[in-house]
Formats: sequence, C-alpha cells, structure tokens
Amino acid sequence: MEENTLDVREENEEDSNSESYSSESDVETEVTNRQLQDAFADGLLQPGLNFIDKPVKECANDVGSMKDILQEFTQNIDWIERLDVTCGPVHPPGMTEEEKNEEFDVEDYFKRELRFYRQAQAAALEALPKLNKMDVQTRRPEDYFAEMAKSDVQMKKIREKLLKRQMSLDKSEKAKKLREMRKFGKKVQQEVLHARQKEKTEMTRRVKNISKGKMQETGEELKKQQEKGKRRNQDPKGKNPNNPLTKKVNKKREYKNSKFGFGGKTRRMKFNDKDSHGAEEDGFDARRNQQSFSKQRMKKGGFKKGKGGGFKKGQGTAAGGIKKPGMKKGRPGKNKRKTMKSRRK
Amino acid sequence: MGKRKAIEQIVKRQKRLRNTERVESKTEKSGDKEKWTNKQRVLIFASRGVSFLARHLASDLRTLMPHARADSKLDKAKGFFEINEICEMRNCNKCIFFEARKRDMYLWTSNTPHGPSAKFLIENIHTLAELKMTGNCLRGSRPILSFDPEFDNLPHYQILKELFTQMFGTPKLHPRSQPFIDHVFTFSIADDRIWFRNYQIIEEDGSLTEIGPRFVLNPIKIFRGSFGGPMLYENPKYVSPNQYRAQLKKNAGLRFKNKVESQMGHQVRKMKDTYNIDPLDEIFTTIKPEDAKGQEKLTYYRRKRSHPKDAGEKIAATP
Repeated sequence: MEENTLDVREENEEDSNSESYSSESDVETEVTNRQLQDAFADGLLQPGLNFIDKPVKECANDVGSMKDILQEFTQNIDWIERLDVTCGPVHPPGMTEEEKNEEFDVEDYFKRELRFYRQAQAAALEALPKLNKMDVQTRRPEDYFAEMAKSDVQMKKIREKLLKRQMSLDKSEKAKKLREMRKFGKKVQQEVLHARQKEKTEMTRRVKNISKGKMQETGEELKKQQEKGKRRNQDPKGKNPNNPLTKKVNKKREYKNSKFGFGGKTRRMKFNDKDSHGAEEDGFDARRNQQSFSKQRMKKGGFKKGKGGGFKKGQGTAAGGIKKPGMKKGRPGKNKRKTMKSRRK
Repeated sequence: MGKRKAIEQIVKRQKRLRNTERVESKTEKSGDKEKWTNKQRVLIFASRGVSFLARHLASDLRTLMPHARADSKLDKAKGFFEINEICEMRNCNKCIFFEARKRDMYLWTSNTPHGPSAKFLIENIHTLAELKMTGNCLRGSRPILSFDPEFDNLPHYQILKELFTQMFGTPKLHPRSQPFIDHVFTFSIADDRIWFRNYQIIEEDGSLTEIGPRFVLNPIKIFRGSFGGPMLYENPKYVSPNQYRAQLKKNAGLRFKNKVESQMGHQVRKMKDTYNIDPLDEIFTTIKPEDAKGQEKLTYYRRKRSHPKDAGEKIAATP
C-alpha cells in the first residue's frame, strides 16, 4: 500500500515535469528537469525521495502605507505631554563590550527581567533630569496622602509574605548551622567518653594495686580522684523529660499540628471566615448588617411588640421557630405548652 | 511643652497653605495657567466569555490609567465594527479590547474611529493582585513610557509605538491624575513579542521596584482601519495557539507511531536461532547418571539407601 502511494506521487511529479518541459520558454526549469531526468536514468531518484512542498504563505507588509499612516496620526505635541523615552538598557560601570552586545536568552527568567529592569532604569535616568528642569514634581512629599494603585490591605499582605519568606530563610540558615554544630559536637562527645573510659581503667588499676598492698599512690591523690567522680555525678545538666522547662519542643510537630489539626476542630479549617476575607479592614461588620437585616424582616413581617395575643395560623411559620430577641411574648415552646395543658386538667 | 509644639505645627501648616494659595493665585493672575489639552480617552473592555484573568487585567489597567473608561462586556455575535460606535458614544478616541476565543485571549488596540488598529495574542498575564511584585504607586499618576530601541527600526513597530504612547500615556493635567510622576511603563521587544512591565521609581538615582501588571503581546496583524480595513502587516512568525496545540498532539502521536514501528522492526530483525545446530548431532551422546540435570534425571532409576531391606529387591536399571 505504502509503495503504491509513493509510485503515484512519483508519477504525478513526472507529469508535472513533462508539462513544464513542454513550455520551453523557461530555460532554468528545463535545465533542472533535464538534470532530474538524468538522475532518474542513473537510478539516483527513488520513489519516496521527493514530495511536493506546501506553498509558502505570503504575509502582508505594506511599508509605504504604514509610513503614511504613521505621519497621519502622529501627535505633534510637546514631550511633556507624551513622556516617551526610547533607549536601550543601562549598563553597569564594570561591564565589558562583549557583555553589552550579548544576546540574552528569553527563556532565562532572571536575565530577561534584568534587561527589562535596566531598560526602565535607563528611561528613568533620562527622563527625571528633564522633568526636574521643567519643574515637574517627581517626588511625592511625605505629607501628601492620596489613593494608591494597590490598597493598604494588599500592601500589608505583600509585607507579610516578604517577612514570612525572610523568616523561613533565617530559620533554614539556623538549622543548617545547628546541624554543623551537632556534627562537631558528636566528635567532642566521643572524645569525652573515651577519656572517661580511660580514667576508669586507670582507677581500677590503681585500686587493684592498692589491694595488692603496693601502696605507691598517696591517699591525697586518691581523694582527688574520688571528688572528681562525685562532681561528675552531680552534673546539673541531666535531662529530665518530664520537666517542662527542659523539655524539648518539636517545632516540626507543632507546625504540622497547626496545619493538619491536632486537638481542635478539623472540619471547617479551610473555609473562609471573618479574618481571612479581611472584613475588619474593609470596615464591614457582618454582625451589624445581620442585625439590620433581621430588623427589616421584622418590619415587613408585621410582627410588633406589645400587640399581645398569639399568632394567627400560618403566620406563625413565618417566624420559622427561631426565637428573636425582640419577641418576648411569643408562643411558648412545645414542652411548656404540654405542661400547661396537663396543669389545666 | 507638648501643647506649644502642637500649636507651632498648626501655625506652620497654615503658613504653608497660605503660600500655596498665593502661588496658585499668581499663576492665575499672570494668565498663563496651563490647561488640559491632550484629551485622550481610552475605552477598556472585553468580549463576553472572557476569563477572570482578562477581567482583572482590564480593571488593573483602569486603575493605572485615569483617562480610561469601562463598558459592559460585548457580545461577539454583534461584530467588531460596533465597537467604534460604542467608543463614539462613550466619547473615547482609543480602545483596548480583550477578545476571548477558546482558552486564548486576544487584545485589540485601536485608534478609533479612523485607525490604525492592531491585534495581539496576549500571553503570560500577571495582575496587580499578585504578592510577588512589591512596588506601589499613586493611583492615576502619570507614567514615563520607556520603549526598546528596536521600536524605531521597523515601520510596524513604529506604528505600535505611536499607538502605545497615545494610549498608555496619561494626559498632562488630566483632572483625575496626580501631579507626581512616580512610575515607568516599559515596552521591550524580545523573541518577536512586546513585553510590558510597570516599575515604581524609588530613588532619583534609578532604583526601581516592580508594581505590575505584566503581560506579553504577540503581534498578529495591523489594520488600516479601526477593527478592520486593509491589512498593513501580518506577523510571519506568528503561530496560532490552535496550530501550536495541534502540532504538540501530532508530535506526541508520532512518538507513539515511531515506538510501535521500531518494535515491529525489532520483531522482524530478531533471529530465531543464534546458531544453526543439527538436532541429530546429539543422538549418540550419553550422559552419566551423576551429570544428569533436570529433565534428564527422569531417565535413571536409583536405589534408595535409607531402607536396607528393600535394597535386595529393587535393581537399578540403566538405559
């Protein structure tokens, strides 16, 4: 099947070749055709080697009229009205020529953003002196307060995030240091243990000697050794796991508890609440609004204080069985009604 | 002491206020009080079915551009020529229009009603609400517009530059603008796209922080008229997102096809026998019972050692 289609393609090409060959006006195509034919005769051309290419799409690029239009709609006004600056990125002083002309990689986030930043910087450095010359203010006085593009709530969030990031960085740095210390501490501990072991063996050796009656050591020296041992046993550093002061806090455990919930409610943790949607910052008081709403309902429903008497049938359901602070003389609860009924009998 | 200080401060403030009033009156008297002459108004709105991102971006642009106006979303079925009428009704001479199609977003910028207009594919949107960008500026202060030098090289970029300056630049003395210039809009060209960034000027020596929003405009076409008319320029390097996605799928398909083909080829090429062996060669080779392994063991019988009684009855047979 595959071969068949290839053959057909080849045939098509031959057809087209013969057509162009018949129109001998085009010398160049004739030459190429002849070459092709020779190649085919030599067996260089195989089916499947050639296929007809798609025509290249032509894109409009009307330079002449574009220039006309540009002249037509360009504004002829002062620079101060437009504030446009065209300049390349600013180069820091220590940069070589090669680095200046270097093509930057668009995929490289850091380099790309740095280039944009430098371009903006260059524009600012060019425009600000010009503006200062024209007596245009570029600096807001300290006591000038106006609405900003980002709200205070948003800026607070940004600051919090920055702080959090800084904190986490510090924390990791600290942890790293601690780990290093611990590594070093292990070595020290081993040395101490080693020394103690040595001391102990020495001691036993001496005791043995004494018991054998070789009183080479003086009594004072022995005393010293014993005191040393005592001091070590009374070391205040001893860890007591039940003492809350010396108890070690597992930070990781604490964080996980706060995240996944331990010893508290776990169900509605991810729901929005008053704090998360920033109601207080917006000046929105849910409680107050709720109250006004209920008041409105009261008015509409026509429940009035002091009207005495019970409720009409059907209207009672409008209250929905919810006791409201305004309604003191309402229908008593079911239990109460029952007891009242029984008392009457 | 505190009281006296407070009084001094109040007096100072009053003096300052008086001074400013005097300055203002001076300019009025001299009669050369500057006026708001460059009356650009930009209508920023979107088509129906546009994503939340475009909505947020549009509202961000409106907060940064005091000369911008909003309109309700447009039903695409009505056609784009109606936008010109809407602009006229809203008294706007520039328009930024977000068009939603499938999951992609296109941005039209136009000088209504006479053109030119340009259509872009808008990519990589980041809005003001993101916490990554730490800068802030006055709402409605005038921006400095910074353009890449590339904008002056090619005629279609020149047109876009002029369009952007007229559109994004806040007119001087616009009633809703602030009197200070504290941020820079940056238009850079990289990878045949226009990258938009917004920076706050912190110090006069040129230290900046980014405010946002961010987006990338991939130019598609430039028209002579507003939202239509003869085409002036078409980006030859533009690949529509549909095509791009189709190509990705095709490539994935090809990968599978190649894998299957190679597997089939392997099956064909695989030799069944590593070496031509004549099975008759092994007929007369005999194995000792000690050397027998596996299946061959079945051809031998053995006397069991554990029961010496049975030893005499059974005779070991060898083939």
